[in-house]
Amino acid sequence: MENPAIIHIDKLTKRFPVGNGEFTALNNVSLQFEKGEFTGLVGPSGSGKTTLLNIIGSLDTPTEGVVTVLGQSIAGLSHKQSAQLRNKHLGFIFQTYNLFPVYTVYENVEFALLLQHIPAAERRKAVLDALEWVGLTDKINSKPPQLSGGEGQRVAIARAMVKRPAIMLADEPTANLDSKNSHHILQTMKRLNEELHTTFLFATHDEKVMAYLDRIISLEDGKVVKDEQIVHAKN
Amino acid sequence: MIALKLAFKNIIGAGYRTLLNIAVLSFAFVVIIWHNGVIDGWNQQARRDTIEWEIGQGQIWHPLYDPLDFLSFQDAHGPLSPSLSTQVKSGQLTPVLLTSASVFPQGRMQGVVLKGIDPGQTILKIPSQLLNTSDYDLPILVGKRMAASLNLKEADQLLMRWRDKNGTFDAIEATVAGIFDCNVPTIDNGQVWLPLERLRTMLDLPNEATFLVSREANVPADIAPWEFKDLNFLLADLDMIIQSKKGGGAIMYGLLFIIALLAIFDTQVLSIFRRQKEIGTYIALGMTRWQVVGIFTVEGTVYSILAILLGAVYGIPLLWYTAKVGWAMPAGTDNMGLSIADKIYPVYGTGLILFTVLLVIIAATFVSFLPARKIANLSPTDALKGKIQ
Repeated sequence: MENPAIIHIDKLTKRFPVGNGEFTALNNVSLQFEKGEFTGLVGPSGSGKTTLLNIIGSLDTPTEGVVTVLGQSIAGLSHKQSAQLRNKHLGFIFQTYNLFPVYTVYENVEFALLLQHIPAAERRKAVLDALEWVGLTDKINSKPPQLSGGEGQRVAIARAMVKRPAIMLADEPTANLDSKNSHHILQTMKRLNEELHTTFLFATHDEKVMAYLDRIISLEDGKVVKDEQIVHAKN
Repeated sequence: MIALKLAFKNIIGAGYRTLLNIAVLSFAFVVIIWHNGVIDGWNQQARRDTIEWEIGQGQIWHPLYDPLDFLSFQDAHGPLSPSLSTQVKSGQLTPVLLTSASVFPQGRMQGVVLKGIDPGQTILKIPSQLLNTSDYDLPILVGKRMAASLNLKEADQLLMRWRDKNGTFDAIEATVAGIFDCNVPTIDNGQVWLPLERLRTMLDLPNEATFLVSREANVPADIAPWEFKDLNFLLADLDMIIQSKKGGGAIMYGLLFIIALLAIFDTQVLSIFRRQKEIGTYIALGMTRWQVVGIFTVEGTVYSILAILLGAVYGIPLLWYTAKVGWAMPAGTDNMGLSIADKIYPVYGTGLILFTVLLVIIAATFVSFLPARKIANLSPTDALKGKIQ
């Protein structure tokens, strides 16, 4: 069966004003991502990987070119439409977790569902399922400052996956974690990818992450320099 | 609802900063209600006393009468028409005749207004019946302020000199039959009350009056050329004084209120600066920018709601206590020319409380919105990076 592309990027260029001039963060990038991919955008700092992730996530817009996510052109979306796209179909995982410190773990995970006006009982079940996925059912009443780094990132994963998004965008998700927690997080995400067929796009330069990826796109100075499929040896 | 819930959580989570803002705002809230309550209480008391002691439900003035022009008193009198006389007899009106005169307490001379009033009248609370019950040749009544300024006490004699309708001077020793205590200085300071018929005789103005006090608020029939003055007219000066007092007070509590609002404004500016990543995360999770503006704006509303609740906790007992025991006026205020009781009992009307609640909520919401609207224009990627300046 044909695996449909859910993200099309065609001749994408992104420039930022810097002083009196401009900085080109992405230069004529064309890519496609299919459903169920577990792909990493790798490269040194300033290579454009976070910018690409932000544009796919409709947090930013292209300067030139076309980016289509789930059939919607990012440049043509209004603020409200892009908010709906993010709310219903995209999940974000950040390097610094970005949890809301005054909410409990449960409330942090519940937040995205509140925006979707899902009934309370359905919401509760989804939140508990998500927390069970990441193994944090015993922490539902804790607040983020009471969690370890690994636990905080697992809450962030639960928050991103609770609404069952089609695409998860993870920006350096393991950068603040030790090796053990990094592997735990990556295994959780891989499991989500395999069991729920959620598409994962990472921006990373962490070797540990690369070991889990099925596809690695290397960026340098805003250009794609390598795009390779990884074949993992089966145990 | 989401915004309200989030705002509550964010504010409660903010700790001491929140408490300080709420405390200052609640203090402003209580002070506004208290101050306006005092003014309203004073207003009600002053209007009630002025009506009961001085103006009744309206007055009918001789066309030449001008209470602010002493020189007009000489000519401002006229005979009562049969219609007015009938209403006087039925008790609907009571006539007052007045003239300027001089008194000589302890050898000094002082200008006064002599006011003749029917000792049997029941429209005003002036104890005019004392003018009937005494055995003195010419009994007079004075108020407590007048008695104090002339150093008079009951049964003291006072030499009075006046001019009759022909301009002829005459003088007589009168005896103080009573000293009344009221809060209306305009019937007290510089005024001597005596029996109407006696004053008419002294002035040679039988059946004449300067004005008549009405028991009812409606305009009596057949009064021309006399003029009916209703309560709005007669209380206009008092209303003006009350309004100016309200204005003066508004400056005081306005400053307090502005300090509280500035604290909220500052907190919100700081909050937006410190919570950039949170703002970016809200947007990344699917909120529109204006929904995030809504959260921060509603936080201002929540500040005001919590301030009102806190204000209610200590304000209700405090305001109830002041309404019950009153607020004692400092010594000397009764000589200010205003109707001020020894104690003012604040009146906290529903309208005042609702107005203040709305004022606090709207103002706090507005000052929260001012910095929050900046969020509508920010880039979510900058917010996530904490780059907002």
